[in-house]
Amino acid sequence: MDKSILMQLQNVTKTYVLGEIKVEALKETNLDIYQGEILVILGPSGSGKSTLLNLIGGMDKPSTGDIFFLDRNLSHASDRDLTLFRRREIGFVFQFYNLVSDLTARENVALAASLVSKPLDNREVLDQVGLADRGDHFPSQLSGGEQQRVSIARAIVKNPTLLLCDEPTGALDYQTGISILELLKQARQTMGSTVILVTHNTAIGAMADRMVRMRSGSVADIIINESPVPPERIEW
Amino acid sequence: MKVLNRRLQHIIKGSLGQFLGMAVIIAVGISLYIGITTAFFNLSQSQHSFYQDNNFADHYFYIVRAPESILKQVEKVPGVKLATGRIQKDIPVLKDNQERATVRITSYRLPLDREVNSIQLMGGRLFSSYPASGGMEVMVNPAYFEANRLSWGESIDIVAENRKYPVKVVGTATGPEFTYIMKDAANMMPDNETFGIMMIPLNQAQQLFNLPGQLNQVLVQFVPGADVDTAVQSIKDILSPYGNLASFPRQDQLSHAALDAELTGLDAISGFLPMIFLTVAAAVQFVILRRMIKTQRTQIGILKALGFDNTQIILHFSTYAILICAIGAAIGIGSGVYMASYFSDLYAMFFNLPQAIGGLNYQVILNSILLSLGVGALAGFSASRPVLEISPAESMRPLPPSRSSRSLLENWAWFWTRLSSSWKMAFRTISRNRFRLLVSIFGIVSAVALLILSMFTNDAVDYMMDQHFNKESSYDYLLTFSQPVKDSELLNIARLNGVEHIEGFFSLPVRVHYLGHSEEDVLIGIDPANTLKRPTRENGQFIPIPDDGIILSRRSAERLGLKVGDTVQLETLLGLGPARYAQVKITSINYQLLGNESYITLTQANRILNEARLVNGALMQTDSSQTENIEKHLADMTGINSIVSRNKERDNILSMMDSMIYMVSIMIMFAVVLGFVIIYNSVIMSFNERKRELAALLTIGFTRQEVAGIMWKETIPQAIPAVLLGLPAGKMLAELYFSSVEFDMWYMPVVIYPSSYAMAALGGVVFVLLGQWAASRGIKKLDIIELSKNID
Repeated sequence: MDKSILMQLQNVTKTYVLGEIKVEALKETNLDIYQGEILVILGPSGSGKSTLLNLIGGMDKPSTGDIFFLDRNLSHASDRDLTLFRRREIGFVFQFYNLVSDLTARENVALAASLVSKPLDNREVLDQVGLADRGDHFPSQLSGGEQQRVSIARAIVKNPTLLLCDEPTGALDYQTGISILELLKQARQTMGSTVILVTHNTAIGAMADRMVRMRSGSVADIIINESPVPPERIEW
Repeated sequence: MKVLNRRLQHIIKGSLGQFLGMAVIIAVGISLYIGITTAFFNLSQSQHSFYQDNNFADHYFYIVRAPESILKQVEKVPGVKLATGRIQKDIPVLKDNQERATVRITSYRLPLDREVNSIQLMGGRLFSSYPASGGMEVMVNPAYFEANRLSWGESIDIVAENRKYPVKVVGTATGPEFTYIMKDAANMMPDNETFGIMMIPLNQAQQLFNLPGQLNQVLVQFVPGADVDTAVQSIKDILSPYGNLASFPRQDQLSHAALDAELTGLDAISGFLPMIFLTVAAAVQFVILRRMIKTQRTQIGILKALGFDNTQIILHFSTYAILICAIGAAIGIGSGVYMASYFSDLYAMFFNLPQAIGGLNYQVILNSILLSLGVGALAGFSASRPVLEISPAESMRPLPPSRSSRSLLENWAWFWTRLSSSWKMAFRTISRNRFRLLVSIFGIVSAVALLILSMFTNDAVDYMMDQHFNKESSYDYLLTFSQPVKDSELLNIARLNGVEHIEGFFSLPVRVHYLGHSEEDVLIGIDPANTLKRPTRENGQFIPIPDDGIILSRRSAERLGLKVGDTVQLETLLGLGPARYAQVKITSINYQLLGNESYITLTQANRILNEARLVNGALMQTDSSQTENIEKHLADMTGINSIVSRNKERDNILSMMDSMIYMVSIMIMFAVVLGFVIIYNSVIMSFNERKRELAALLTIGFTRQEVAGIMWKETIPQAIPAVLLGLPAGKMLAELYFSSVEFDMWYMPVVIYPSSYAMAALGGVVFVLLGQWAASRGIKKLDIIELSKNID
């Protein structure tokens, strides 16, 4: 694993105001993210893991603190700059896929590819996720696992620096979930992307290079995994 | 249910733009319904009571002259309820400013309540048959009195049988046959300054026209259920020795026909115009509610799991639609009552009805409430039916992605492969929601069609005026003489300073007979070389006057079922000497927009009368710098019965048209509101449906503008064809409206200028842009953080 730092979070907090209530979703957090690693963020519901992922992915700005991507400070970036950051550097995989229902699998991938100047080849990417022969199907014609594969293909076609996954196996059965994890690991190997995975499933932590445990909005622990386990050997 | 009501409040708050938009559409529909229907009821009530209170005649009979005693014979005819005789004739009035006016002398016998076509005193006092101070007392219609700034007791000079008489104006009055006062069918609008009704005692009229103990008109009222045709024939037989000039039923009386045409138009428009808005509102509410139920499926499942039954839940959602309609009705009633009052004032201006045309019509208001709530209930209950199919357990699971299918356009591979992903999305979304697409298109087509309808009245009148004043006729003055004269006598007028050109004509009232049926008509005899007034074909082309044959009026041709090549018999109705007959062949049909006369050569007209070179009128072209001089000289000529200035006629019409602009503006505003709300709702629904997808696009790197652009791509393929379809739909609507209000005396083609089409299309573009912009503001607030939450 390349140890150069890709992103740095320094004293980052995030507070949401919901009516009269202030929710401190993320308390003072410091975290470095390394190029090419698989980082798994673990924690129960409400621990702040999704908030952390959203901040890393440029989907939100911190209330206080700084987030550096290489030498760029994203904390004070404009909406447009954050959009461009997400366009060029981030691939996002959601728990419920969020595909465009009116586009086929191939077209969903092409949609993302259209955003960057040098995307990967649509067909190759679909082939990589094992859906070369299902490219002309609409999401309603695909199983949950197949939809998630399309979602991954859509994320990686941009050749992103960071691949962020929010509970990617949360809506899938065990076998399908394992196959998704295998794809994510493959993406790191073939493209060199940094993969950050948020999950409440502690078993998935075994495949990580590092695990970040979240509790009540704070980083409770950061564990280096000396021997990451291949996805096919993970059980839950 | 309290909880459900609170939930409903939250739903309304969350969709306030859509809720209010729909309420506005309902309000517009209800306003139009109340405004137009109330105006219709008020006007027809006023008409009905005015006719009833003043014994409006069922049938008119014009004769040369008959003794008063003839009435006793007429009254004995089975079916006759009441008969009145009178004298009526048009004569000139000499005004102080040297201008000429014409008044229609109409005689009355006191007491008035036993007379057919009685009159109602409006101001001043009733005339006396034998004034103590001697002389003659008259009443005039109120509009003439005001337009000429007369005062009570003022003396004016009239000319009858070539003699000048001073008469004293003592009062104003109106009658059921004077609700819309036009000199004849050649005029488009009343000209109160130059034409009025002068009411005088019968004995005075008999003296004026040298008709002692005689009448020249008989008016009859029939008993309900009488055999009118037989009675009319019997009366004609009684009157035939006295020169039967014309007879016609009430429906052909000019004033009544104008009022009736207006009522028919109101009736027609009160039917379809509000329904357009209410139908669109119902359809859009249906679509909104269906969408709402689909997206709130989980919550419905939760409500069912908690124990709420289907009825409660259906009522809960239907209340959304019913509330929209209730609020819309409340706003609509207020604005509708105001509109009714405005329309009533407008009609009061046009029609001389003595009773106030106004007042609330509670029945109409009640109907509007029921109509509005009915629309809400229909939309609500029919849209809520899917609630029955939702099971609590199933509803908790996330919805699978919407079924998508290929758009028809995909069959056109060459085109489809060249489309970007966002265009493909747009076409497939449209394809997936066909009912919503139809509702949107119907709404936009209706809005654009309404824009066309608003503007076409202006266009049609503008066309008529252009045709009438600039093409069909190019004279500056139309003169009628009190007696026919030799055409050589026109030189006396031609010699006046400023007269550039003069053409004589003979206007001959005739009866056209064909296969046992007949119609009264006016035959104009003119020289084929005349250019100042000419008959025209349907396409506006001039028709040359044939040496032999007749160019028949459209009205007579339609009523008698005549066509070119048919031969008819003409019977003269001059009233001077015996009736003359002639067989003539129809060579063309006259489609002049105003006037509806038949044409023949002057030679033929004279031949029918066994005369030569007689004229009883003239058309003049003059030097505009000599207008004052010419009018002064003409006013002094007592042989001239009337002088009609074309410029004044045109100005009069233009001033009447000003009041229409306000109505047109209201209609345009309503149409734009309708179009705006349709687009706004359509975009909002699509946006709400695809919030998560759109948020996902933001996540993967699309800017908000780019996402807004994707929404645009859904609107454009619906809006452009709909706006274009709205243009011919507007023309059809105009034709439908016009076919329901045909007024016999005028021929008004449905004319819509290209500029009106362009303006309507532009209006369509404006409301599409506005609606899209308003609805797309939600994209700015799209929260991509929501995507990390797992609730569907």
